[in-house]
Amino acid sequence: MSEQQDWNALSDDQFRAVFRSWVEANCPTHLRFMRKQRPVFNEVSEWYHTLADKGWLSPLWPQEYGGMGLDAGKHIVYVEEWARLGCPRIPDHGIGLTGPLLIQYGTQAQKDFFLPRILSGEHVWCQGYSEPNAGSDLASLRTSARRDGDDFIVNGQKIWTTLAHCANWILLLVRTSTDETKRQKGITVLLVDMTTAGCTVRPIPNLRNEADFCEVFFDNVRVPAANVVGEVDQGWALAKAVLGHERIFLGAPSRPEYAIKRLERLAQDRGAFDDPGFVARYAKLRLDLYDLSAAFERFARVLRAGGVLGADVSVLKIFCSELYQRITEEMLTVAGEEARLWDDLHTGEGDVDAMNLYLDSRAPTIFGGSNEIQKGVLAKGVLGLPSSF
Amino acid sequence: MTGLILNDDDGDLALLRDSVAGFAQRHDGPATLRARRASGDDLDRASWAAMAEAGWLGVMLPEELGGAGLGHAEQSILCEALGQALITEPLAQLSVLSGALIAAAEPGAEPQRLAEGLMSGAAIVAPAWQGADGSTGPIVARSTPNGITLSGRISYVSAAKSATDFLVLAEENGQALLLSVPAISNGLKVAAHATLDGSQLATLTLEQVTVPTQAVLSRADAANAALEQAIAAARLAISAELVGIGTRAIEDTIAYTKERVQFGRPIAGFQVVQHRLVDMWADAEFAAASVSHAVEMQDEGESLERDLAVLAAKARAGDAAVTITRRALHLYGAMGFTDDCDIGLYMKRAVALNATLGQPETLRLQFVARERAAA
Ligand SMILES: Cc1cc2nc3c(=O)[nH]c(=O)nc-3n(C[C@H](O)[C@H](O)[C@H](O)COP(=O)(O)OP(=O)(O)OC[C@H]3O[C@@H](n4cnc5c(N)ncnc54)[C@H](O)[C@@H]3O)c2cc1C
Repeated sequence: MSEQQDWNALSDDQFRAVFRSWVEANCPTHLRFMRKQRPVFNEVSEWYHTLADKGWLSPLWPQEYGGMGLDAGKHIVYVEEWARLGCPRIPDHGIGLTGPLLIQYGTQAQKDFFLPRILSGEHVWCQGYSEPNAGSDLASLRTSARRDGDDFIVNGQKIWTTLAHCANWILLLVRTSTDETKRQKGITVLLVDMTTAGCTVRPIPNLRNEADFCEVFFDNVRVPAANVVGEVDQGWALAKAVLGHERIFLGAPSRPEYAIKRLERLAQDRGAFDDPGFVARYAKLRLDLYDLSAAFERFARVLRAGGVLGADVSVLKIFCSELYQRITEEMLTVAGEEARLWDDLHTGEGDVDAMNLYLDSRAPTIFGGSNEIQKGVLAKGVLGLPSSF
Repeated sequence: MTGLILNDDDGDLALLRDSVAGFAQRHDGPATLRARRASGDDLDRASWAAMAEAGWLGVMLPEELGGAGLGHAEQSILCEALGQALITEPLAQLSVLSGALIAAAEPGAEPQRLAEGLMSGAAIVAPAWQGADGSTGPIVARSTPNGITLSGRISYVSAAKSATDFLVLAEENGQALLLSVPAISNGLKVAAHATLDGSQLATLTLEQVTVPTQAVLSRADAANAALEQAIAAARLAISAELVGIGTRAIEDTIAYTKERVQFGRPIAGFQVVQHRLVDMWADAEFAAASVSHAVEMQDEGESLERDLAVLAAKARAGDAAVTITRRALHLYGAMGFTDDCDIGLYMKRAVALNATLGQPETLRLQFVARERAAA
């Protein structure tokens, strides 16, 4: 592992330059601008290990745990450059979810055991929150964990678990007691080895007919009580708190940015820029993206100044996910009669994965708290309106 | 959901609707689509044969050619019902468009043979007339002592791998020709590509393909007029199918959101979801009105009115079905983002049909251009 330095002491521009030049030299070109949004671990392990060796795999973890210890402002630079250079998404639940949770709430033994194994890639994590009957209303989850001596016995089912088929550990929200009056009470965070007897995974083909998310079943799965994070029955607050400033990235302009580049390439090739109707619509999309960046910057500035994000940050996610959809819809308009082909479209400048993006863009209005749920949060938390659900 | 409302005094249209519903019990649309997609075929032979058996392939073919001699009303009701059941064999191309070209041909043995084959299902007759940009793209014809030699490339051909015959648009010295070309011809190559709706669409390459002069179905202005009429008929059929897709997607979404409980109540109980569903329903109502109007116009209207009504119907029905199914998908939550859930297939079929024979904006621009030119 390479030596670390105090990155936060650099200016944003200095840090950007250092990070960019190293990534440019070290992120394998064949992995750049991957068609697949969610590659499995083996497809990108080379990049994962390269980052880990450099000590740059975990931007937010403190340096004592092998992270870069970036503050939120530098983290934004990290994420921006990552997207700009087309680095592939790596299975990042260990880095972005389990790691921070353990660093904040884990025991010393948990940190010592799990953190190095995330960095080495030995443990690949997935996020087991949603259940068949607990989606938007996550607090109604029912997967149960019953105490039995030094263990918990887990029974139930998770669903929509992204990349569970290539993960070996799952961060579970389970119900440890039922209190009818306050459903958020009685939820516990549990670290579960997916190779334990009774845990099975079934991939669910998604809209692109790819295995991307899964069902995960628990049939009397025995989990050591030492794998509880924080206090039993107090997991809800933990699960919420760990998201913190990262909520800003649900509204990061990278998806629409990528999509608009593809739209431009297609439009150029098909002569659409000669069509005033297209140009007017394109201009609207282009400026929406431009202003999304400005809005993102407004929240980023709060973080740079050491502040915390409020409920209002949800506005980014709504705008961003809808813009992404509008761009991919325009792509299909430009594609004309070809907008029914499954495969990528050919242009003089390379292929354009119009249909792939169109289908992919259907998801972000649903996941990460659907747009209706986000609007509920804004109505209540920002406008001070009475709760509607 | 009401869907198309057409005059049905003797109840024939209702019977036709019922017979599609019965058919769908035996030939499940979504299951057939998935199987066809997995096999890489461009036509489900069992469904197609059964559709021939049901008498659905020659609905508008004239009785002289052995067809049912019915009109746009019957054709539209059939297509709407197929859309509802997500039966996605390319009927608009292989039956409506090809049938119209055959019906408009100069009488003779060849159109007779094609008509019989088309109706019985023994022949798969695929129209082939589009250029890469989707508009008419005739290939080059040259008369020789041996017949007519054809060269060029044609895009967006349905069921090209299954086809026995192609109806090809060509041009010789500026004069249009519509010809029938056997699928097994020296110099004819098929390159098929997977489509969003689990089928295949092909590019044909013809290199010095020679056919006898009897292969000519129509020429010059008659050929152009035949094609124009055939395209309009296919557009109308597709519009009706899109109406079927939209209404069914709404019905399914209403059923799903009434079942799906979050926060202690069906999500259809949330006002936001209700308003969404109402918007979807309103889109479907307008689409059904537009398509019903276009169907009536075909019998009653002047030539310009007929054409305008079809352009409007296809644009409206395409936009509506795409928007409705997109919203439906969202209301299904993550379930909608799976391949197992049929709503995604409805969405894909809507997108594919919307892109077929002109996207809404193109059609709207044509409408306005035609209307202003006539004013
Ligand atoms: C691609 C993808 C990846 C995912 N990955 C993971 C993962 O790794 N781990 C994990 O735990 N989960 C994951 N999820 C699940 C995701 O968190 C849920 O889809 C989300 O919480 C919504 O729940 P649901 O799908 O059950 O939809 P539902 O909650 O059933 O919602 C259905 C529809 O109803 C609307 N709705 C619900 N309640 C209200 C209301 N009160 N008012 C108005 N409208 C309402 C919603 O907006 C939505 O349109 C993933 C989902 C997707 C699509």
